[in-house]
Amino acid sequence: MANNSDTTAGIYKVTLLAGLWRENPVFRLLLGMCPTLAVTAAVKPALTMGLSVIFVLVCSNIVVSLMRNLLKPHLRILMFTLTIATFVTIADLFLRAFQPVMSETLGPYVPLIIVNCIIICRAEACASKNTLVVSIIDAVGMGVGFTLTLCVLASIRELLSTGMIFEAKVMPDWFVPWAAMSMPVGAFITLGLLLGLVNKLTKGKS
Amino acid sequence: MYRREVKAVSKIKYFVQQSWLLIVSSFCFGLLLAIANAAWSPRIEQNRINKLNDLAGRLIPKAKDFVPLEKLGVVIEVTSLKGDKKKVDVYKAMAGEECFGWTINAVGPGFQDKIELIIAVDKDFKTIAGFDVLASNESPGTGDKIKEKDFRKQFENKIAAKLELIKSGKAKDNKILAISGATISSESVVKIINHYIKEVREEMQKKGLLGNGK
Repeated sequence: MANNSDTTAGIYKVTLLAGLWRENPVFRLLLGMCPTLAVTAAVKPALTMGLSVIFVLVCSNIVVSLMRNLLKPHLRILMFTLTIATFVTIADLFLRAFQPVMSETLGPYVPLIIVNCIIICRAEACASKNTLVVSIIDAVGMGVGFTLTLCVLASIRELLSTGMIFEAKVMPDWFVPWAAMSMPVGAFITLGLLLGLVNKLTKGKS
Repeated sequence: MYRREVKAVSKIKYFVQQSWLLIVSSFCFGLLLAIANAAWSPRIEQNRINKLNDLAGRLIPKAKDFVPLEKLGVVIEVTSLKGDKKKVDVYKAMAGEECFGWTINAVGPGFQDKIELIIAVDKDFKTIAGFDVLASNESPGTGDKIKEKDFRKQFENKIAAKLELIKSGKAKDNKILAISGATISSESVVKIINHYIKEVREEMQKKGLLGNGK
């Protein structure tokens, strides 16, 4: 009995940690590249995007896991999209009502969460095959992993493009901001360098 | 006949068997969205009005209320920069009974995406009180400088609808100095302001809301 409990706890731990590093959606699976490149010019929008993705991921995984035994295989993608679109619309309405400035900053990238591969991937790979608890833990792990990645990328870009982090001045007065870091070119270069670093760190381990 | 009916019934049965979850889910999700929309849409609308009033209030500080012309029963329709007829939101800037000017919500193509502006003019549509950007996706570091005060300040007190963009020199008379590295964005702003002030002024003169402009 104790053994079984340990194993279950072990599964939960492995599932939770997978999204943070081993199966990190951005650095290891290269999923969700659109928001990763588009909304990481500053930390605030990146964090808002990450939290929105966590909300959608958790809610859609809960619904998909609960209906997993009722799903018809040929209609499952339709069901996933319907579920995800509903929660994305709710997240979008919430931001427009309570965070209007952030909603404007993120622009079309909130509605575009509907086509974020991470969410549909977790619905297909995890929630449609696992229990409710495992699905929720997987969604939290993947969502937090995605959010942290976005924040790391955004911190580097915001720091170098404005000399600030969270709109607080960090760099000394002599620092000349690199405007290119807030442009798409800055996103591609930073992501490329971070991917290279992660590959170097994990070389031979996978 | 009977066989055909049985076949039709079994087809419906098959359809329901396959799609009942989709139908039920669609209904439940639709209900959820309707509830969320009903709960938050007044707040979303209020946010939009607050933003407009805030921007308009900064452009015409003497005004206390911005009354939409539509509320006064006047609809202003002008030719947009694309060439089609479009309804334009025009607000009367009031303080008590006195009119201090007008604001126009204008939109036109920018360098990357459309640019939405709020333009403020004096009560006779003769001089520009200023403008602000409602929405734009111009390039960070260059085109998005259209939002900055240094660029916007150039438009204040210039003769309405006769702005001219220059790439170098001094922004005197009715000249506007383009942002370095963002000529297209600067040109778009000047074009939108010139076009909408001219079009709205003519339409308002036709409706008797302004003098003949002399």
